[in-house]
Amino acid sequence: MSGVFLEQIVKRYGAIEVVHGIDLEIDPKEFVVLVGPSGCGKSTTLRMIAGLEEISDGTLRIGDRVMNRVAPKDRDVAMVFQNYALYPHLNVAENMAFGLRIRKVPKDEIAKSIDEVAKILGLTEYLERRPADLSGGQRQRVAMGRAIVRHPEVFLFDEPLSNLDAKLRTQMRAEIKRLHNRLGVTSVYVTHDQVEAMTLADRIVVMCDGRIEQIGTPMELFNNPANVFVAGFIGSPPMNQFEARLEDSDAGPIAHANGTIIQLHGQEALRGSAGREVIVGIRPEHVMLTAEEGTAEIPISLDLIETLGSEALLHTHVGDQPFVAKVETHGEIGHLQGVNALHVKPERVKLFDKESGRALGQAA
Amino acid sequence: MKNMNLYSRGDKLFVYINMALIAVFAISALYPFIYITAMSLSSGFAARAGTVVLSPVDLTLAAYERVMSDPAFWNSYKNTFIYTFGGTFTSLLLVIPGAYALSRPNLWGRRFWNLMVAFTMWFHAGMIPFWLNIRDLGLLDSYFGIIIAFAVNAFNIILLRNFFESIPDSFQEAARMDGANEFQILWKVFVPLSKPAIATITLFCIVARWNGFFWAMVLLTDEGKIPLQVYLRHTISALSDDEEFSSTLLSAPYSVETVTAAIIVCSIIPVLLIYPWVQKYFNKGIMLGGVKE
Amino acid sequence: MAMIDKESSAGTETIVPKLTMSQRLDRIQMHLRREWQIYLMLAPVIIWFLLFLYRPMYGLQIAFKDYSVFLGIDGSPWVGLEHFQTLFQSDQFLRALKNTLIISAMTLFIGFPMPIILALMFNEILNETFKRTAQTIVYLPHFISSVIIAGIIITAFSPSAGIVNTVLGWFGVDPIYFLTKPEWFRPIFIGSGIWQEAGFQSIVFLAAIAGVNPSLYESAVVDGANRWQMMWKITIPCILPTIIIMLIIRIGNLLEVSFEMIILLYQPATYQTADVINTYIYRQGLIGGQYDLAAAAGLFNAIVAFCLVMSANTIAKRVSKTSLW
Repeated sequence: MSGVFLEQIVKRYGAIEVVHGIDLEIDPKEFVVLVGPSGCGKSTTLRMIAGLEEISDGTLRIGDRVMNRVAPKDRDVAMVFQNYALYPHLNVAENMAFGLRIRKVPKDEIAKSIDEVAKILGLTEYLERRPADLSGGQRQRVAMGRAIVRHPEVFLFDEPLSNLDAKLRTQMRAEIKRLHNRLGVTSVYVTHDQVEAMTLADRIVVMCDGRIEQIGTPMELFNNPANVFVAGFIGSPPMNQFEARLEDSDAGPIAHANGTIIQLHGQEALRGSAGREVIVGIRPEHVMLTAEEGTAEIPISLDLIETLGSEALLHTHVGDQPFVAKVETHGEIGHLQGVNALHVKPERVKLFDKESGRALGQAA
Repeated sequence: MKNMNLYSRGDKLFVYINMALIAVFAISALYPFIYITAMSLSSGFAARAGTVVLSPVDLTLAAYERVMSDPAFWNSYKNTFIYTFGGTFTSLLLVIPGAYALSRPNLWGRRFWNLMVAFTMWFHAGMIPFWLNIRDLGLLDSYFGIIIAFAVNAFNIILLRNFFESIPDSFQEAARMDGANEFQILWKVFVPLSKPAIATITLFCIVARWNGFFWAMVLLTDEGKIPLQVYLRHTISALSDDEEFSSTLLSAPYSVETVTAAIIVCSIIPVLLIYPWVQKYFNKGIMLGGVKE
Repeated sequence: MAMIDKESSAGTETIVPKLTMSQRLDRIQMHLRREWQIYLMLAPVIIWFLLFLYRPMYGLQIAFKDYSVFLGIDGSPWVGLEHFQTLFQSDQFLRALKNTLIISAMTLFIGFPMPIILALMFNEILNETFKRTAQTIVYLPHFISSVIIAGIIITAFSPSAGIVNTVLGWFGVDPIYFLTKPEWFRPIFIGSGIWQEAGFQSIVFLAAIAGVNPSLYESAVVDGANRWQMMWKITIPCILPTIIIMLIIRIGNLLEVSFEMIILLYQPATYQTADVINTYIYRQGLIGGQYDLAAAAGLFNAIVAFCLVMSANTIAKRVSKTSLW
């Protein structure tokens, strides 16, 4: 398996630059997810790797070959499209065989590959059917099968699950993950859905406006977002963010937000930054209902409780800023009614520079 | 909506009157064909006397015998087949790849090429320069001239191009990643995906070729090369003018009218045979022909 | 393409360094190496257009020349607007121009409403089989050649044998030789045109009717409207944009009289009402050999038609944008 290396990749349409010099190294066998809001350049980047879009500037290597000018078919990559692009006039077997036939692979070899792949994907009994007669999940599988039979060096996925309903999406997500574990092919996966990114990726690349905001494992991004954008994008519900000013107190640094004071014990590195304007970020999941030793208290006014089952979302206000908390219910929500304060461990409180949006302290 | 019981009495009356009117329309569309068929099967005498209205009078095949005994008739029939199939094949050969190329976003100068095609729908040099051009190209009086000179028209190209453009890019991209070249993409993906549109333009071509008259009359002087429509025209005018023919009318079992009618029936039959397919596709075609640009 | 739009919305304008000549050549070379096949596909069609439609446009210059077969298009001497002057002093040309306008205007006024009426009537038929059969029959004449239709007309209107005179005979009317009477030419020509095309042209309107939101009818039924009211209050207003656009297109094609049919039906006795610009061109040019004069008439025709079509297109675009209220 080959790795994929992007060096200062740029994409321009005429005078408009949509991808601004991206650097990314994808290791062999790695599953990397490009995630970001629509229009962030993630699909364009993927299509440049595929060879469907010309690379305006920079270098793309797959393995040790520079691919900038290599035709898509010679890059040894396979792609799964958002709408699957299954040929409606061909049945499942013919769809999967299409690429092999074009490449003049011997017939018996094609048959063998298709058999094998159909078995892996559970499509054996559908080989004679046309795409129109398949369910969404089956079509999705055929689309993957078509990529797999070619034994490419790299798989590219362009939002492959966005046409499926929520339940099927979860199921197919797991299937893609299993498949990757089994085949171990280097994969680049594009999605705008951060849940997909979190569940599938070895490493996630968060993109915005044609730039990479952060690269890291799902947990790295969750725990230590490099900036406000990543903090807001990864995690659901998103991280609570509000503006505050750092101050010193006897007990340690505090963040002063519109009348609310949040203790930042332990973040001693911040001593001396008094007066600095920051954005405070607290994950809804990191909030506790009861105080523990050293926790900071956040006084809140409760607006609404959304029950999810084992968890509940508390929609609250801190001062005049909305604040969402995700807490465990333990099977009932009665005790949540009167809550007027939440607690958070100081080390869970993330601080970002107000100007640049970059993380302060250890996460920097 | 389809449940008649929900209708008021006034509505029912309205529906029935409407049906009756439509029936009148349909009959008036059909009647000329019935009339001509009846005429072709009647005797010359009955035709002359103006007694043929709905069904053959003095049923006879004399008119058909006279038509079919003319070798020029069969020759023109053969020519029409050559022009129809040769012409349609040539059209498809030019139009399909051309429309595909014009639909590709990666074609440089795409707007210019498309405009060049569309412009000919709005502006035509006219009959005389067109004819002089054919003459200067040395294509007068030739099978090839008729076939090639009318092989392409902007409408068909734009119709097919629009259809190709409506096919999601990902089909083309998927095939490209699978290693297909442009010819393979066109032949193995786009053509099968565009069957309705291609069937439509094929039928348009066939009908236009079968019915084509004016240019065949103008460009072909060699009687051996004329298609059926021109033969029909010649025969009708010849029969009308032919004094000798008129003078034999009383004895002949056919007349100008019955012979004309017989040729008409002979040349309509192939159209009627493909009409079910035409019918199936032209509805679609008209809609596809929501030609933009 | 949608992809590009989406992505570029987030893009930022940057100053792209100007490509040097060699970089540009390099890009062209790379593009052609990659995409030569689509140019190969395009080439035959483009060559065809150049050869058969654009080359005659070059030949149009004979409209301003004293064309001689021996000197050829390029060699013939220029005469400026002489042919146009001749045309506009020629009674025959002016008559043809007048006839063209009269015939197309009459075709428009009488022929335009027919397909709409037909479509509305078809829409009111509930029995699908009846509807489909009737449609199949009504569309049929469109696919019949003009020679055949002319043949049918000649037969049907023949003074002795024709059905028309037979029927008139039942009412004691003496046989009329319709095709030699100038006053009958236009009614017969326009009538046959409607007979041939009305059914087929109704397809566009039927499609527009099919596009009307069914819930409009359902709510009208709930409100107690009858079929007649629904037709006037819902169907017609809903297809009005289509009607307007088709009308504009028809006006744009005003000069396009189906002259093939006229050539088949007219004779010297009826030139007076039947001769149109294209039949005039045909007679002067192809039969009479006055290529330059006929080409000038053709050019005049083409320019007027071009202006009509272009203004119709512009208006249609504006209407279709604004009239979707």
